Amino acid sequence: MGEVKRQLAMVMDLNKCIGCQTCTISCKRLWTRDEGMEYMWWNSVNTMPGLGTPKDWEQMGGGFRDGQPNASRIPTRKEFGDAWEFNHEEVFFGGKGSEAHLQVKGEQPEWGPNWDEDQGAGEYPNGYYFYLPRICNHCTHPACLEACPRQAIEKREQDGIVLINEDRCRGYRFCMEACPYKKIYWNHVQKVAQKCIFCFPRIEQGVANACARQCPGRVRFVGYRDDQNGPIWKLVDKYKVALPLHSEFGTEPNVFYVPPLAPPRFDANGEIDENQPRIPNEYLVSLFGPRVLEVLATLKGEMTKTRAGQKSEVLDILIAYKWKDMFGGFDRDPASIEWKKT
Amino acid sequence: MLVPYAANVDVEALLDADAAPWRSTAPETIAMMGTPVGLQPTGAIRAAWTGKKIGAVERITVAALHTGSALAFRLEWADPTENRDLTDTTSFADAAAVLLPSTPASVAMTMGAPTAPVNAWYWRSDADGGRHVIGEGIGASRTIDVELVRARGVWKEGRWQVVIARALRIDTKEPVAQLEVGAKTGFAVAVWDGANSERGGIKAFSGDWRELVLDATKLARG
Repeated sequence: MGEVKRQLAMVMDLNKCIGCQTCTISCKRLWTRDEGMEYMWWNSVNTMPGLGTPKDWEQMGGGFRDGQPNASRIPTRKEFGDAWEFNHEEVFFGGKGSEAHLQVKGEQPEWGPNWDEDQGAGEYPNGYYFYLPRICNHCTHPACLEACPRQAIEKREQDGIVLINEDRCRGYRFCMEACPYKKIYWNHVQKVAQKCIFCFPRIEQGVANACARQCPGRVRFVGYRDDQNGPIWKLVDKYKVALPLHSEFGTEPNVFYVPPLAPPRFDANGEIDENQPRIPNEYLVSLFGPRVLEVLATLKGEMTKTRAGQKSEVLDILIAYKWKDMFGGFDRDPASIEWKKT
Repeated sequence: MLVPYAANVDVEALLDADAAPWRSTAPETIAMMGTPVGLQPTGAIRAAWTGKKIGAVERITVAALHTGSALAFRLEWADPTENRDLTDTTSFADAAAVLLPSTPASVAMTMGAPTAPVNAWYWRSDADGGRHVIGEGIGASRTIDVELVRARGVWKEGRWQVVIARALRIDTKEPVAQLEVGAKTGFAVAVWDGANSERGGIKAFSGDWRELVLDATKLARG
């Protein structure tokens, strides 16, 4: 593997994600519709606090600890949430539309890819939750790549995208075990491991990732880490308002999150208490590290500025007045391209 | 191991582990050992397998026959579970392989080297076919074809019976083992127990080369 010359990255603004799963479906329809991929969600959105998909993945280990590989395990299909089969035939075409209701066929599931949606945490009137969209982090120090005994995973020199070479993959799944984000899937038909490809065929044509381009909330920024005119460098490095998820896993993710602000708490008298965060600080620190509190302070400061009539470049970027500015130059219209399946 | 010469026998017939010629071929019992965790090719694999049992299959019986143009190995071992179905993320296939030196200097323990490769004849239960593999070091094996090695496995009553065969000589530039009747070479065997999540370098193996001689004396037919 050669030296990675540039790194593509994504920033997701959690303050704007409405959990609509348009990203999830745009990815699904583009990449994971073949047999063996039914249960795969290369992009997923889960409610936090929550167990997510695969169930309780944050507690599974993997990645690195003190620079050394950290043992983990492969999540089962049930833990991922599997692909439920529904009685579509009966409901839609069986003439029983008025009696039969849509339900999962066979064994009833005990988990799903979005099972704990909107549960969150906290007690009324101070309940809280936010959505966490996830893709492969295309890490700078990819645990999957280092775990593979067959050199079947490469990190591309030109853009740092991490790809599984399915011709070299023999389905050993050491990568699934090693990935601490549990974003690698097993295709039991092709007998290879598969995961998010950062939409590299689109990227190569100047088109942003499907999950980013389709997002109705303008949550996702795309671009090169080092492009000082692009949104990633500005959000991550210049204004320092975007952080990796679970950096303690040691893989140096290239997906960054603008952490969620939340309304203040109500006190015992039902009065607004501005001094108490709705989402506990320690919870956000557990996800995004101690710097998350600085980031929230920066965002609040910028909001105060704009309320006073001042300009804030960082808020202007996050608001994304111009949709195309979110894509770091990868703003070509995919409909203008004649796509060929190779 | 002196491999009897079963003249006028079709190698395809030998893929049936119950075929008549096997009944009159005495097998050799080989003690197997797990591959050392320290020799696993990546840190993640070493971290995952430290303190765990590697090499669930502790002994195997091996018989071999050659037809003058092909060599067949019949492997048999006890395995309480038949692992062929890989539907779940955590299911792994039972598998076996015979390893042969491609050069006189090839080393079994390191799975060959770039200058002295080894040649594996590999069978995996989910595909139930053969795979022709060149090994050029630990973590450096590659499939060269999936046609030339013929293999078939049957699991019954808690035992795998697997036959793996190939032509003695192959017309190829790849560094495969080219076999000759009467000449002395070596072999090793490996077995993967899917129920123990064995795959890749996580396997039971027979150690250093064991002698292999293809007998030049033809057996009487029958």
